[in-house]
Amino acid sequence: MSARRRKPGFPPDADPDSPKAAYRGGPDGEQTGGSSDYVGDDLANRPERTLWGDAWIRLRKNKLAIIGLVWILIVVTLTLSADFWVPQNFASPTSTDAGSLEAPSAVHPFGTDRIGRDVFSRVVYGARVSLAVGVLAVGISLVIGLLMGALSGYYGGLVDTLVMRTADIFFAFPYTLFAIALLAVLGPSYHNVFIAIGILGWPSVARVFRSSILSVKENEYVDAARAMGASDQRIIFRHIMPNAVAPIIVYGTMSIGGAIIAEAALSFLGMGVQPPTPSWGAMLSEAKALMVAAPWLTIWPGFAILTTVLAFVLMGDGLRDALDVKMKD
Amino acid sequence: MALLEVTNLKTHFTTRDGVVRAVDGVTFEVKEGHTLAIVGESGSGKSVTALSLMRLIPDPPGKIVDGRITFRGESVLGMNDSAVRSMRGDRIAMIFQDSMTSLNPVFRVGYQIGEALRIHKGMTRKEAHARAVEMLDLVGIPNPAQRARDYPHQFSGGMRQRAMIAMALACDPDILIADEPTTALDVTIQAQILELMIELQQRQGTAIIMITHDLGVVADMANDVMVMYAGKQVEYGKADEVFYRPLHPYTWGLLASLPRHDVDEKGTLLPIEGQPPSLIDVPPGCAFHPRCPYAQERCKREIPELREAAPAHLTACHFAGQAGFGQGAAGKGEGVA
Amino acid sequence: MLKYVVRRIFQMIPVFLGVTLILFVLRIPGLLPGDPIQLIVGEKPLTPALRAQIEEKNHLNEPVHIQYAYYVSGIAQGDLGESYQKGRPVTDILFDKFPNTFRLALAGIIVEIVIGISAGIISAIRQYSFWDVLVTLSTSILVSVPVFWLGLLLQMFFGIRLKEWTGGAVFLPISGMGNPPDFVHLVLPAITLASVSTAYVARIMRSQMLEAMGQDYIRTAMAKGLTERAVVFKHALKNALIPVVTYIGIDLGVLMSGAILTETVFSWPGVGREIYLAVMQRDWPVVMGGVIVIVLIVMFINLLVDISYALLDPRIRYGGAAE
Repeated sequence: MSARRRKPGFPPDADPDSPKAAYRGGPDGEQTGGSSDYVGDDLANRPERTLWGDAWIRLRKNKLAIIGLVWILIVVTLTLSADFWVPQNFASPTSTDAGSLEAPSAVHPFGTDRIGRDVFSRVVYGARVSLAVGVLAVGISLVIGLLMGALSGYYGGLVDTLVMRTADIFFAFPYTLFAIALLAVLGPSYHNVFIAIGILGWPSVARVFRSSILSVKENEYVDAARAMGASDQRIIFRHIMPNAVAPIIVYGTMSIGGAIIAEAALSFLGMGVQPPTPSWGAMLSEAKALMVAAPWLTIWPGFAILTTVLAFVLMGDGLRDALDVKMKD
Repeated sequence: MALLEVTNLKTHFTTRDGVVRAVDGVTFEVKEGHTLAIVGESGSGKSVTALSLMRLIPDPPGKIVDGRITFRGESVLGMNDSAVRSMRGDRIAMIFQDSMTSLNPVFRVGYQIGEALRIHKGMTRKEAHARAVEMLDLVGIPNPAQRARDYPHQFSGGMRQRAMIAMALACDPDILIADEPTTALDVTIQAQILELMIELQQRQGTAIIMITHDLGVVADMANDVMVMYAGKQVEYGKADEVFYRPLHPYTWGLLASLPRHDVDEKGTLLPIEGQPPSLIDVPPGCAFHPRCPYAQERCKREIPELREAAPAHLTACHFAGQAGFGQGAAGKGEGVA
Repeated sequence: MLKYVVRRIFQMIPVFLGVTLILFVLRIPGLLPGDPIQLIVGEKPLTPALRAQIEEKNHLNEPVHIQYAYYVSGIAQGDLGESYQKGRPVTDILFDKFPNTFRLALAGIIVEIVIGISAGIISAIRQYSFWDVLVTLSTSILVSVPVFWLGLLLQMFFGIRLKEWTGGAVFLPISGMGNPPDFVHLVLPAITLASVSTAYVARIMRSQMLEAMGQDYIRTAMAKGLTERAVVFKHALKNALIPVVTYIGIDLGVLMSGAILTETVFSWPGVGREIYLAVMQRDWPVVMGGVIVIVLIVMFINLLVDISYALLDPRIRYGGAAE
């Protein structure tokens, strides 16, 4: 039982007074229709907002990221100022009363190690190594990676293929093994550690940056700039990079955490920072054999690594959310 | 008694910004084998009405807060979960606007069509598959045996929609709810799909609830028409009545904004001024008053009741049916003679 | 499909050659500490005649690129050279240890699958519940944990303390594989190895499930009268699993190549630990051979995963629309 077909629409009318005319605005036809809820005026009065300012505001709201940031600041302050306030000398046994393998106490909050050194001071000083390696290694990765990524993304073609194939080769290597092999060649030391980690890190940076550039390159304003006669270099620096930078900032922050863990792992295996320089990883290596007798040796350096890396991870997460232009509030 | 009776249905959603009164008191019925068209702009509440009939409203945040739905004399709102599930797909079925996203990409089409058969009719895989092939044939898909083994992305848009129809009608339901089934399709395909639906309705005697914003679609198919605005019902009656003797200013607007090929005037499209209102912050009084060329003081204060302004023709407007309303009184608000 | 596989293999070859090249470069005398000839000879006195003989046998007098050619052709024939320390062919040594690493990695994958996938599913179904918060937080934390420290903690707690508290009755072994190798010895190392990956799997599973459950076809399935359980576990899960399965597949390779730390902590006699010991002893053929084997295996696994992904997702397996 279907309806019979009919032509749509109102019966024909040329009647200027018809309701249809009302909508057309016929002879008498100004609209009386009610209020105009036009919101537009509001928009003109909003305060000026930039991308970075915006991001900073959003970041401030992210409690976890702020906790991360605060913790990092605490660690940095503590470790840089360590010379002034750390009571015990970390490199040699303490002067009078400390024996070896003492359990945590008021005097030694984290206990002492086998040769009587105060674990707490060693952990604090160890932060220097970890933070320095983290920042420097990521710095090296960024320098190499950004350059390679920029060349690859902007010029494309053969350059792109070469760079990406090289990156593939690096990716094919198991990370830890490659690092060990590199350090075997370079010789284990504090400097070589962050060089090795830095070298291993560039392909990821290059890849991220390259895809940023590729997506930005498609945008019209690059064509507009070129039409105005801007040189390649100018285009890269003034137009592409600022926009491609955001993912790099996020990636860089989170990589610092990764670099810290890498340094710890390498030092744990004996290929990193050498004694007597305190490194959290090396401390854990010593602690392994003494696990039964002195659990504090295992717990505290590892905990230091965990909290520091976690702080960077949370900050990285927060930065990612804050810089994500698609998530408007 | 009609096949489906809905009385004063209200479905509200509780959100962070307030309560969204998506459906705020609609009353209608669907007779056996008839077609009801529910018409309105986006956000008018038509889809939510349909989902409410199947009790597919996600809770939270949504809830049917008032009203009665009676299907074959049985209260739908009072059914337990198991009864609702056995009703869905078997006695009331639904098809959706976007056939690409509404079909599961990792299951074969024949499988998805046969799913309802396996659940409701207890068929085995083989039986269900065979019947699925029959259904595909019925909806006009060439090479149905082959097609049943294909995946949704291998179908073209029009064919996918046919497959959805096949899926919905597999268990021979009493009511088919079609939510904007042709909106996403090319104009030529649209016509084909509508033809198909009419043909199947005649063959199987299925009642259809057709949800659309397009009055042209409705014109060919509907026995009854219900016009919705801002969650409320503004006009309801037989299709001829609503088309040729519309009573509500909103309906006038809808009809006036139809593209017409037989009009010899300049024929500019006249969209109704303004935007549909927020369903959280519904305008006081008649929800349509901000956009209505005939709005008076009373319209801003008093919510118009749905009343029978002409025989078997209901509308919710204070002035509907009054002599001379809508003729020449445009814009002056001098009272309607 | 076959074309795709062949193409992928062709792409892998230059990368593999690049790897061998880098390894070879590292081995150039002078670069790595220790005189290779001295290392080969070990304790025995090194006479000029012996030196000449060794140089001859190892082609050490030829130009560098010839040496490289010998090296690569050797690899192609399955010859990875001889260990300096043990004098046995590297391939023998590795094949001895390799199954152990594979067992460990496999156990790790099982942990990932069981814990990771269930955690992810539960987290998605009960969004914002205690369980969900737990999963989300623990992923962030696990990513920041140094794997070897986790291993040490597990050893300390489940191996030693637990033994003390139960008077020696209940504990988990913390070293080696057991003799003969048994299941109990696998537990702690497998959990350690898989910990970070499990967190990732849970996270990915959760987000994929949430995405799948928000799709239109879920609404369609409900409208057909399916139970909520059927909708979640049949319609949503099948879609959500595809990316997760690929991730887990790739992870098998990752676990195998990354096992060195876990193997060292738990004294697990696998390839990673073998390579590490070789580095300590300057036994370069073992190191390089080990790296090559691992690289090959990882490449192979990645290829398999690529193929399986194309097979799993019908949108890729069967091309586009037909009229």
